[in-house]
Amino acid sequence: MKTKKTLIVLACLGFLSGGLLNKANAQTDSNAVSVPNSPQGGGEKMLLAGEVFTYWQNNKIVGAPTTNSFGADPLGLMLMPLVKLTDRLFLDVQVQVTANPSPGGGAGVSLNEAIIYYHVANGVNIFAGNFQPRSGMFEGILDDFTNRFCSAPIGMGIGVATESGIGLQGAFQLGYSKLYYQLFAANGPQLIVDSSGAANGQLTYGNYTDNNTNKAFGGEIGFLPLSNSSLELGVSGQYTPKTGDAGSAFENISNTTYAAYLNYYHVFNPLMIRILGQYEYSQTQDFNLYTSSSSDTLLVPAFDNKTSGWYGGLTLRLSGSHNTFLSNLELGGRLGQLTLPKAALWGSPNPLNQTTVCLTYWYTWKTPINVSYDIYTQTGSPTQTAITVRGMWFF
Amino acid sequence: MAVIIIGISTSAIINGCKVPESIASKSGAQLWGENCNRCHNAPDPHTFSDDQWDAAVEHMHQKAILTDLEAKKIVEFLKMAN
Repeated sequence: MKTKKTLIVLACLGFLSGGLLNKANAQTDSNAVSVPNSPQGGGEKMLLAGEVFTYWQNNKIVGAPTTNSFGADPLGLMLMPLVKLTDRLFLDVQVQVTANPSPGGGAGVSLNEAIIYYHVANGVNIFAGNFQPRSGMFEGILDDFTNRFCSAPIGMGIGVATESGIGLQGAFQLGYSKLYYQLFAANGPQLIVDSSGAANGQLTYGNYTDNNTNKAFGGEIGFLPLSNSSLELGVSGQYTPKTGDAGSAFENISNTTYAAYLNYYHVFNPLMIRILGQYEYSQTQDFNLYTSSSSDTLLVPAFDNKTSGWYGGLTLRLSGSHNTFLSNLELGGRLGQLTLPKAALWGSPNPLNQTTVCLTYWYTWKTPINVSYDIYTQTGSPTQTAITVRGMWFF
Repeated sequence: MAVIIIGISTSAIINGCKVPESIASKSGAQLWGENCNRCHNAPDPHTFSDDQWDAAVEHMHQKAILTDLEAKKIVEFLKMAN
């Protein structure tokens, strides 16, 4: 019994002395930066990534003069600080500076994303901030130097855009296949009520301040059935029960969006083939806009407020060729369509079609130089064509 | 009978979801090639330093929603090869 007590006392003394010794060492080690009672951590790992991009465009409309311009995004710089704060905490930010193409010039600064991720457990990560929700694969994934068609497909971007909120995401291996998911709650889109009708029924995204107490809920499920992850299929959606201003007659106007997509690549040596496509749909509840809340005189009548779009594309690259120049060339072809509400002032009675051919030269693995030719057709409207040259230097 | 059917179904799902040896033993190099090429060309391991790769792969871990094991193996490979 006495021996046992002695052992316990010795163990306690050892523990205390060890602790004191460690503390003394810590004090010695931290002589240079003495921060008593400071929380532990630090030692971030950071990468300042980003890109510089420029677009030049030649536009031609049948029956109208041809124009040359530096496009809607003539020149821009995107900076992307990626900071791994700890093994569990990660910060992902995107800030963009874009030259203003209108006369007078200047530049605009925008915060594309600012997200903090926290790794909870295997396959479970929570995130919060200003983020681009997974809504198919184009926005936020294939819209960058990853876009092998240079121009954006017309049918995309009609669904969910950048939002402020919180979410959960992760991936799991399921046998030979993989499954990933994302769930989120966000401020959601806000309804535009426009008495001129020019934008009535449209939605705005990127709202830091909510216009009501309701939230939008959305998510995505992606499935990679093949063991080499070469095929990716997924569906995503978002439901916003209330898009209108709190207390207004339009508070309860709801919106639903969804998307489905496919992304596949395979190397039939020496040829690499990539097939990709996406469908997007957005429906906002229709509403009559009266001259006043007490009047039954219509200012802007209700219309079927549905917008949809799709694109499908194929690219070919001789990635296995021994000729470096040839192996860096990629040829792409794409079809797309955008269908706007027929009865809206901002809508259209017929779908707009887009046909694109693009040649890309990969100067480095992340530096594409693209030249694309787009043809836009629409029943009842003159055909438009555009030649676009894009330079993009990712770093 | 119902218990047997549920048992067989559960067993089939569990076994179906069990990660086969050929998948579990994939190297970081293989996962790097397979997963990066889903959206873009696979990067040269010399592009970044070890610390920068930690941040870059964590970005892709979240953006492309890779599994935790894939991200771990890929970053280990890139750091070893740079």
